[in-house]
Amino acid sequence: MKSAEGMFDESIVYVTRQGAQIRTGEGRIIVFDVTLDEDDDSDPELASYPIEKVDTINVFGGVNFTTPFIKTANESGIVLNYFSTNGKYRGSYRPTKNTIAEIRRAQYGLSRQEELEIAKSMISGKIRNARTLLSRKGVHGTDVLRDLGVRATKAMTKDALRGTEGEAAERYFSRLDETLIDGWTFEKRTTRPPEDHINSLLSLTYVFVKNEVLGALYQYNLDPFLGVLHADRHGRPSLALDLQEEFRPIFCDAFVTRLINRGVITHDDFNKDNRLADDAFKTYLGKFDEYMQEEFTHPYFEYNVSRRKAIRQQAILLRKAITGELDGYHPLTFDR
Amino acid sequence: MSSPTTVGQRDELVHVSALNEYVYCPRRFYYQRYHDEIGTPYELIDGRSKHQNQSNRGGWVTERYFRSDELKLHGKIDLIESDSEVLTPVERKRSESGQYYPSDEVQLTGYCMLLEDALDEPVNVGYIYLYSTDTRHAIRIKERHRETVRKIVSRITEMTVNSLPPFTDNPKKCEACSARQYCMPYETALLEPEKAQGTGWEDRV
Repeated sequence: MKSAEGMFDESIVYVTRQGAQIRTGEGRIIVFDVTLDEDDDSDPELASYPIEKVDTINVFGGVNFTTPFIKTANESGIVLNYFSTNGKYRGSYRPTKNTIAEIRRAQYGLSRQEELEIAKSMISGKIRNARTLLSRKGVHGTDVLRDLGVRATKAMTKDALRGTEGEAAERYFSRLDETLIDGWTFEKRTTRPPEDHINSLLSLTYVFVKNEVLGALYQYNLDPFLGVLHADRHGRPSLALDLQEEFRPIFCDAFVTRLINRGVITHDDFNKDNRLADDAFKTYLGKFDEYMQEEFTHPYFEYNVSRRKAIRQQAILLRKAITGELDGYHPLTFDR
Repeated sequence: MSSPTTVGQRDELVHVSALNEYVYCPRRFYYQRYHDEIGTPYELIDGRSKHQNQSNRGGWVTERYFRSDELKLHGKIDLIESDSEVLTPVERKRSESGQYYPSDEVQLTGYCMLLEDALDEPVNVGYIYLYSTDTRHAIRIKERHRETVRKIVSRITEMTVNSLPPFTDNPKKCEACSARQYCMPYETALLEPEKAQGTGWEDRV
């Protein structure tokens, strides 16, 4: 069985060119360079995409949208996300039709027990994927992770589940060092600010995958700010963080180790406060987008999907679990 | 003189195009109605622009809106042809195969019923025009056609958000369906096989 092709591959557009303007014309989205001088004869049209294929546009720094384009985005259901030049999220424009009362009612109406069931699937999926990533990199002796995965499926409360998750994360990160080439070490996970280059890359990648998840939740009309496991806090997209859990080891950490182990990013690419320098950040973005479009054989459905599409599918499956169309949430897990 | 339609009533009217959607697949119709989730097939966009071009041509009554509280139907008729005082609705369809479908006949019947309600006289013939082959097919509207429309209208008006229709029993329809990525019939049959019991999907996994 083959899935319909091509639907999500070009669905997210990244624009980093400073001074670019995004316009609409002849049924397409046009990225236009407005900074060119009159006597410059290079083509001001940088890229264009069919409107029907795109559902998210991410812009970094000094990039703007024309007002007619905003109208088109609203009518076509395209979400616009704003980031600083080095990837800090600054907010979104969302189309007005992007609210379906019935879905929101179902989400807000979930009982504590239903939330816990969904969260247990997500966390046990994450722990399964953590083991799989380590095993793919030749790190063995992860039985304790297997046991913690079982414990996650039996958690009676959210706090117990959070405890199991924390313990599994600690065990997992203590072995992550073994997956890196010489010259790189991972001591411990640090955030705000990340204390070394590897933690900086991990944090950046979690933000980017979180944005993919956020886009997918918006696309399917779930409220990303009402989570099933992450505690509520103003401005924290708890449901996006929940859904991201299963992708952390197998997509995020796998991507970071690939960048390092293949020498795409080296220690020289960072500035003093452990941030990627401008050129390296552009390289990173290109690689990230490529990685999201890269296909794998779906472990359960057995057709090829891109990582980006797999994330979208999980948002759909989550929505089906929330609306009762499916009996439970089925995380994306890899056994090998 | 009839009283004006209230907001609530207008919501309850069934759009004629919904008849076609429902006959194709009730589940797809459900997603479109409650979840705004059908995707936008390229055929539809193409068809839309053709409509725009053709509605500017002279000599016809085009794109006329009708509403009937009694039939619980409303909709816009593409084109109404008048020949020696007899008015005949024409429904344009894009069709790669050069054929029209039973669902197109149902839709055309809906238009004929709206027109006869407005004129207060019988409309027993309608045309389906196919772009791809530039052919026109006369359809004689019989009582069984009208009965089908009434039945589907009542099913649609009785539909609720809590009653998700099953997967289609003809998985071939899914291959061309723009809601497929969201509906996930094959994936559901794998994940929760009991959900696909009695549909055409249980044998396909």
